[in-house]
Amino acid sequence: MRRRLSASNITASYVAISVVVLILFAAPILYAWDTIVEERSTERLREDGERLARVLDRHGPQALKTVIDAMVEAQPPGDEKFILLADPALHAQEGNLAAWPQSIPDNAGTSRISFTQAGKRIDAVMMRMPLSNGDQLLVGRNEARFASARTLFWVGLVGAAGAVLFFGLAGGMLIRAMLLAEVQGISRTAAAIVAGDLKRRLPTTGETNELDMLAQTVNRMLDQIEQLIRGVRNVSNAVAHDLRTPLTELRSRLEELTWSRPGADDVFPAIESAVQDIDRIIAIFNALLRLAEIDNGLSRSGFVTTSMTRLAADAVEFYQPLAELKSLHLHFSPSPEIEAAADPLLLAQALGNLIDNALKYATRDIRIAVQRDADARLAIIVSDDGPGIAAHERDKVTQRFYRGDASRGTPGTGLGLSLVAAVAKLHGGSLKLTDAHPGSEHPGLEIRLILA
Amino acid sequence: MKALIVEDNQRVAQFLKKGLGEAGYTVDHADNGRDGMFLAVSEAYDAIVMDRMLPGDVDGITLIATLRRDGCTTPILILSALGEVDDRILGLKSGGDDYLVKPFSIGELLARLDAILRRSQNRQIGNTLAVADLQMDLLSHKVSRGGKAVTLQPREFKLLEYLMRHAGQIVTRTMLLENVWDYHFDPQTNVVDVHISKLRQKIDAEAEMPLLKTIRNAGYMLTADA
Repeated sequence: MRRRLSASNITASYVAISVVVLILFAAPILYAWDTIVEERSTERLREDGERLARVLDRHGPQALKTVIDAMVEAQPPGDEKFILLADPALHAQEGNLAAWPQSIPDNAGTSRISFTQAGKRIDAVMMRMPLSNGDQLLVGRNEARFASARTLFWVGLVGAAGAVLFFGLAGGMLIRAMLLAEVQGISRTAAAIVAGDLKRRLPTTGETNELDMLAQTVNRMLDQIEQLIRGVRNVSNAVAHDLRTPLTELRSRLEELTWSRPGADDVFPAIESAVQDIDRIIAIFNALLRLAEIDNGLSRSGFVTTSMTRLAADAVEFYQPLAELKSLHLHFSPSPEIEAAADPLLLAQALGNLIDNALKYATRDIRIAVQRDADARLAIIVSDDGPGIAAHERDKVTQRFYRGDASRGTPGTGLGLSLVAAVAKLHGGSLKLTDAHPGSEHPGLEIRLILA
Repeated sequence: MKALIVEDNQRVAQFLKKGLGEAGYTVDHADNGRDGMFLAVSEAYDAIVMDRMLPGDVDGITLIATLRRDGCTTPILILSALGEVDDRILGLKSGGDDYLVKPFSIGELLARLDAILRRSQNRQIGNTLAVADLQMDLLSHKVSRGGKAVTLQPREFKLLEYLMRHAGQIVTRTMLLENVWDYHFDPQTNVVDVHISKLRQKIDAEAEMPLLKTIRNAGYMLTADA
């Protein structure tokens, strides 16, 4: 089983690593300290011993005793040096030790011993040195001199380890508690959303730390989800409304046939009308699916570099014969070549819808243009000289299934402009409706399909 | 002509059998992917109509991909309730020759089947297409009817070329929109009809026998037959 990477695991690992690092740091220091101090102190003891041996050799036993006396007297307080001169039977003769310590080994050399003097236990390093006249010399140094420094070091080390442990664990627990609170916030919000409360959002502080950034991202995701779900609801309402009408017509047409049982001459036209009803329903259905597809942003995969000029010219050419038939003029002045990343199939459909619309309402002229606006945004403009749309209605015409008073009775799914608006949105742009000829008797309509 | 229908919905399968039967096909039917696969490899068919979503472990797309991998070149028309652009692309990529979204009219289906079967009365000799006394030179872009030159706009030329390549077959408005204009939507107005009548003016107006015929509830056909 894989170990869970939780906050407590991270904390434990962090603390363990800190302690290991501390040991790696302290061990060499301790080792170096011990070795160096030991060597130096042994060396000093040997120097002292050899100097005293030379005094004996050059000036005799009496001089040696005088020198030892002087050294003991001159000893500064705290610098506890031990010197003892003993006869071959190890009876103390001169020096600052009361008696030859029992624990000194028989052979010459250094040894670490403990003994009691004046009721005090003393740890010392001693060097035993046989002299030329058979006497024994003992020089030593009190270990307590360094003991306090060692104690200080250990206290420091243990204190540091303790601090690392404490702050590591406390910090870890604090981070864990904060993370837990934040994560619980997310999971509570998610649970509320699952339960149907789409308005819930994570609290954010506006700071730029990682958790807040996560919360902000989650909130943006929730916005998107809410919008999509609202879209789905709107669409299902609209579907219910606009599909029920033709379905009702169709149903009554067919039901009437079952009871009236007319002759073959009447049945077949009725069936053909029924098929036409179904085709109308399918057209609405297809338009809705296409809209949903665009809204989901799925069609973004179809983006390629597209010549807008070419696209508009093709659409104008496509609708030209129909315009001629209706005695309308389609004006299109090819601008210099303008290219952009776009979905050509959807843009063609959007532009087709706009021209379709204009052909329905124009009285004489329809103008089509592709241009870059002052702010360098690309716009496809279709304007007519028809009755136009009242200002208060303009927002509504891009809503699904909305049909202005002027358009009732004309063919159409009621989804044309919402599809154009959705295509504009897919391209990062928008749809702008204005009067083409403000103040005129026929204000007309100018629709700007603005691409990002 | 022998056709295989792979479709799990019994009513749709019945409708297809009847429609294809009346159009002169001998029809076999499989209602799942495994049977479809077995029939497709064991019999020789001229065309296969394949539902995309099939019950069981072999769906239409997998079936087509497998058939194509095994070297089967029979024209396949995919039928599907999935109509988004990406679904269409996936269907055609897997090896289907055309893609028709449900619900569909049998006229549209037959027309598209004819188109992928490339059955045509039209004879292409070198770089010219000919239907009766209508001639098209594909290199010089010259068209003549009964020896008299006909002047066409570039798009009218493309429209006529498509009709001539599918002479004797019904061509639907959707097929024209997709193949001549590359438009994949349904204009809410009768623009295609207007284009056709303009073209008719140019090639049929002065001739005794009209070639470009309107087929009611289906589309158009360019043919020398009455």
